[in-house]
Amino acid sequence: MLKAVYRIAWKDVAGDLRRRATLSSMLFFAISVLVVFQAAFEPDRKEALRLLPGLLWATTLFTTLVGLGRVFQAEEEDGAFEGLLLASVPRGVIFFGKWLGNLLLTLLVEFLILPLTLVLFNVDAWGHVPAILGILTLGTLGLTGLGTLLAAMTRGARSRETLLALLLLPLTAPMLIAGVQAIAGVLLQDGEVIPWLKLLIIFDLVYLAMAPWAFGWLVEE
Amino acid sequence: MKILKKIQTLTGIATLAMLAVGLWFVYGAPEDFQQGGAVRILYIHVPSAKMALLSYLFVTVASVLYLWKRSETADILAEAATSVGAAFTAITLASGSIWGKPMWGTWWAWDARLTSMLVLLILFKGLMVLRNSLDDPIKGARATAILAIIGAVDLPIIHYSVVWWRTLHQPPSMAASGNSGVHISGPLLPPLLILSGAFILMGLFMVTVKARQIEARRHLDALESARMHPDE
Repeated sequence: MLKAVYRIAWKDVAGDLRRRATLSSMLFFAISVLVVFQAAFEPDRKEALRLLPGLLWATTLFTTLVGLGRVFQAEEEDGAFEGLLLASVPRGVIFFGKWLGNLLLTLLVEFLILPLTLVLFNVDAWGHVPAILGILTLGTLGLTGLGTLLAAMTRGARSRETLLALLLLPLTAPMLIAGVQAIAGVLLQDGEVIPWLKLLIIFDLVYLAMAPWAFGWLVEE
Repeated sequence: MKILKKIQTLTGIATLAMLAVGLWFVYGAPEDFQQGGAVRILYIHVPSAKMALLSYLFVTVASVLYLWKRSETADILAEAATSVGAAFTAITLASGSIWGKPMWGTWWAWDARLTSMLVLLILFKGLMVLRNSLDDPIKGARATAILAIIGAVDLPIIHYSVVWWRTLHQPPSMAASGNSGVHISGPLLPPLLILSGAFILMGLFMVTVKARQIEARRHLDALESARMHPDE
């Protein structure tokens, strides 16, 4: 089972690392979001520190949408999705494989983007980098779980990228609020962090428990 | 479905009767000593807010039934209740805004209830768009049903996350909109209860009208595709 999850994920990640298709578009999309934020708000150093949690999460959320639009793209182009479904493993395992592949790419982009944001916005928060990465990872687990499910749901839909954004953004409100508040708590050293982490964990658990089951219903013929 | 037509007539007449009685009570009810006549918007606002949530519950139950029993009726009812729920949610937000401007001095506040109601509206819209953008009606119905169930699980989390968001750091200055120990006075209550009943009947009436429409449209689509592909 675990081996099947790993194989499906590795197929996506290795394929993408070789072609650098999704990874580089996510990365450059994230950089352009940062440029847009800088041009739109022109924060000074103090404001940048206050804006940083929201900035990181908003960039993550928008960048995730780019990656999610492509989760099932390779299979669709080759008509290989049916072949994947024929694999003699439960549908939930296929879901976890696709989820893990997407998760790894998204985390990679986040890890590259964080130091870049600190440099570009001139924020001195280098001491908090491990904590911030931890919080980003915790939120991304559920975010990509929900996202991969919605990507499966909108497979073959008209104007799917817009649809994906319309469905994903409202449902991720808890993740966004908890993630922003948790990072703000770490940065400013005065807010509460633990309750928000608990909320992130609830969000992750709910989606990672529901998604494989829902995926099974979705792909049933 | 002959029974839908009967329900439509019955609930239609009952809604009119109850709305008439309710409005008669509203005109008899005293004005609030602070809010004046503006308190009367509550008689629209509160019942529609209840109906918005009830409609989502109805959509969820119908979606579970559709996935479980594969009954097309459940799917038609879910689709009908989605549009009705979206309408009630929009009415709730609009009437709340109109009340909020004179009472709070602002059209909108990022309060927990307002925020989760807005998310509910987007969710209803998402359900409608998802169904329309999948070409295969069966796939569309199944995806929509699953999204409705996901939304039903997420809505309480969304609600509590915004409650915490707005209460962990700031004093609850907008708590007048929540249950801050404020109780409605006696004479204002009967019209509110009667109108809530009237709105439930009206919701049922709207769902049946919409369901019959959807059924007729699906029947037409089937005839059309049979005409276009006679050999299948």
